[in-house]
Amino acid sequence: MERRRELVSFLPVLLLTVVGFASVYAARSSQIGAGSMGYGLLFLGVFVAIHIILRLAAPHADPLLMPITGLLAAIGIMMIYRIDPALAAAQATWLLVGVGLFGAIIFFLRDYRKLDDYIYVLGLAGVLLLAITAVAGYDPNNSGVRLWLKIGGISMQPGEFSKILITIFLAGYLHSKRELLSTTSWRLAGLPMPPAKHLGPLLTVWGMSFGMLLLMNDLGPSLLLFGIFLAMVYVATNRLSYPGIGLVLMAGAGLFAYFTKAVVHLRVDIWLNPWTDIQGKGYQLAQSLFAIGDGGLFGTGLGKGYLLLASGRPLIPALQTDFIFSAIAEELGLVGASAVIVLFLLLCYRGFKIAILAEDGFSKLLAAGIAAGFGLQTFFILGGVMKLIPLTGITLPFVSYGGSSIVANFASLAMLILISNRTNSARAGAGRGAARPLAARSEGAA
Amino acid sequence: MNGPIRRLFYATAALFAALLGMLAYQQVVNAGSLADNPYNTRKVYAQMTIDRGLILASDRTELAKNREENGLYYRVYPQGDIASQLLGYNDVKYGQTGLEHSQNDYLTGTADEVELASLFDTLSGKQQRGANVKLTLDPKVQRTALGDLENLGKRGAVVALDVHTGAVLAMASTPTYDLNNLEADWNQLNKDPNGPLVNRATQGLYTPGSSFKLVTTAAALESGAFTPDSKFNDEKGTLDVNGNVIHNWRDQPFGEHTFSEAFAQSINTTFAQVGLKLGQDKLVEYQQKFGLYDKPPLELPPDEIAVSGRYENGSLASPGASLDPVQVAWMAVGQENLQVTPLQMAMIAQAIGNGGVMMKPYVVDSIIDRDSNVIKQAAPGEWKRPIRPDTAQTMTDMMVKVVNEGTGFGARSNKVQIAGKTGTAEVGGHGPNAWFVGFAPAGDPKVAVAVVVEDADESGHDSSPIARDVLLAALGM
Repeated sequence: MERRRELVSFLPVLLLTVVGFASVYAARSSQIGAGSMGYGLLFLGVFVAIHIILRLAAPHADPLLMPITGLLAAIGIMMIYRIDPALAAAQATWLLVGVGLFGAIIFFLRDYRKLDDYIYVLGLAGVLLLAITAVAGYDPNNSGVRLWLKIGGISMQPGEFSKILITIFLAGYLHSKRELLSTTSWRLAGLPMPPAKHLGPLLTVWGMSFGMLLLMNDLGPSLLLFGIFLAMVYVATNRLSYPGIGLVLMAGAGLFAYFTKAVVHLRVDIWLNPWTDIQGKGYQLAQSLFAIGDGGLFGTGLGKGYLLLASGRPLIPALQTDFIFSAIAEELGLVGASAVIVLFLLLCYRGFKIAILAEDGFSKLLAAGIAAGFGLQTFFILGGVMKLIPLTGITLPFVSYGGSSIVANFASLAMLILISNRTNSARAGAGRGAARPLAARSEGAA
Repeated sequence: MNGPIRRLFYATAALFAALLGMLAYQQVVNAGSLADNPYNTRKVYAQMTIDRGLILASDRTELAKNREENGLYYRVYPQGDIASQLLGYNDVKYGQTGLEHSQNDYLTGTADEVELASLFDTLSGKQQRGANVKLTLDPKVQRTALGDLENLGKRGAVVALDVHTGAVLAMASTPTYDLNNLEADWNQLNKDPNGPLVNRATQGLYTPGSSFKLVTTAAALESGAFTPDSKFNDEKGTLDVNGNVIHNWRDQPFGEHTFSEAFAQSINTTFAQVGLKLGQDKLVEYQQKFGLYDKPPLELPPDEIAVSGRYENGSLASPGASLDPVQVAWMAVGQENLQVTPLQMAMIAQAIGNGGVMMKPYVVDSIIDRDSNVIKQAAPGEWKRPIRPDTAQTMTDMMVKVVNEGTGFGARSNKVQIAGKTGTAEVGGHGPNAWFVGFAPAGDPKVAVAVVVEDADESGHDSSPIARDVLLAALGM
């Protein structure tokens, strides 16, 4: 039932992908070869494969997650292809790796709740990944942010993966300690506080967020991590005072960073006024706004916006990663770009819905944490490129160019799929009282 | 836990609503002002799909043309750095300046006159082609002007005008830069303390020093109070005005002399006395008659033409602002915060050479479409009449004396009689600005010139030979 709905929803996605690639090709046929259209076809193959994986291993999973993320990834690779077909080839490869990991998680981590037993190991791994990056990381494009790690010749951003590991840790930890955290053993400025010793791991996550900020100069991921943390604490305790205190701490740390960290100071100043140094520090944001403004209601059309310089280099630095939404807004206009925002909201909606339907606390917390992560990450980067909030360098999930981002987001997605499959299977099982032969078989095989 | 999860979703929805609101604001409400931002190069890019018109010199030398690649047209400047600040750049990333900016409508074919002609092309599906812009600039004179400045290796500017029409024959500014390498050199050009991107000929504001005695002399002669033979005596080489001292060049005393000799030897004490006698109102009246406090109507973007006049704290002062006697005395000798452009000084020489009629300066001779039809032809026009013909003749005689017997000996030529006035304006911190302002032939003026050299040799004679070379080149000698 769910899979049939998924297949039906896939059809318009596939159609849009084909139309999109064809229009990029039509608009830029003088610059790009017809052979590069192959990436579009490969992309179609990937999502057919995902559908088959789900039919085999997670038949009751949420039917809209994959069409939504599929469409987002399609828009992403289409824009990347339009910016530079060679990058689309790399992105397609990472998409394959991501789907590979996605499939592996679906097949081998079916009983994801076992993760609850290993949360300290996973949490520690997440922290270690960040620590290693802080110490041994490098900064390939001189952005002032060290968040890359080179392992065996492959560059990756470990922050993307530690985000998932820490989310799993928080889900497990908060699930087991939520009763304790909800009790009041002392009061801080009149606010009820749980026993101090249970706050330790939470303060560690808080400290880590700022450690990232201070050691790696990395605004986006540290804010994101802290935001996920606050959201999950709120879900676990149902106490607004926790995120309230967290926001106050965040504001304090933010002020401290503004006055001590040049990178943070700069980002805020550019946000307040990108026009004063438009040829220098404000260049990127100003060009992003020019691109967004040029899109107007309906956009210039795919391949027809002014995104590349005569040299073929993007007009906006980091166009294919952090600023891909500016390209979308220019070429697809308010109509297309709003559709992308609505798709992300739908993704969050499905995520939170999966959390609400889930039957155990660990699953609820994990699903809510992942959904909140998608929502916050989207808000931070989109708000940044359109001058709603200061820019924090972070990718747009599923859309931006970047291997680590794509692979890590597919891993998060796989967790949501597994959680929803478990919930829906239980309900279907309860409803029909029937066995699920295919699922049972593969479970047995695993 | 479902309650907080639900509220978390509402919070997320609120954040996304803010995103949608901001997106709509930027794409609809704010879109117009973003499009009009001068640093938004989208309009230029759109224009790159147009076969932009050529910019030609007076002898049809190609100063700017195009190279086509993948349907986009890239600007090429075959003469490199010869007139970079005047031509300006037309760059996707950095926008437009100079004639590339001011003549853009003709060059792209969007001006009304051109559009009618190219309408058939557009209708018949032909590539939109801009019209060619032919200048009055004479490459021979321009090369002489730029070459002399560059040989000197100093910052400076030269403007040469046709005395009868006001046509710009040369407009050079050093240091210059190669327009073909703009993108590669951009950072360096912007950081260069010598400001190669600035058109010193029209934007450079310089203290005129003694070259400004031209204006004071015109006022003196027309007042009727002075003639070239008026007698003066200067025993000390300095003049005390209310306890302040006006100096001659190196405090040199000149003894008994005439007004004409005071002009030829550039005697400050005498001009200070003349200025005090005439008074501020008379001096300012003639400054305004010669075009100060008014923007010369040259076809460059208005922000690339500076207005000459007295400046206070970096901005143009009101001509009526009341000055004390010391300031009036210094103004008569060309100091007292007077700031003029080389273009303005060339126009003053042009007016004197043209019997007292100051022409509108212009550099665009004609607009020619791609089928060689002249769409628009410049018609020389009068701008102001600062002095009477007889005053102009008297001044010409006095200016001849400057070159033959006075400070302008460096401009002397055995091929033609040159008339002019030098200036050595003291500026703080480094060497003086050396001026030569004049025209030739003195008997039948054809070409006017103004030369300024910054940080000049202490003797102040860096500019006179350049003026001579430029005048000779323009006269074909």
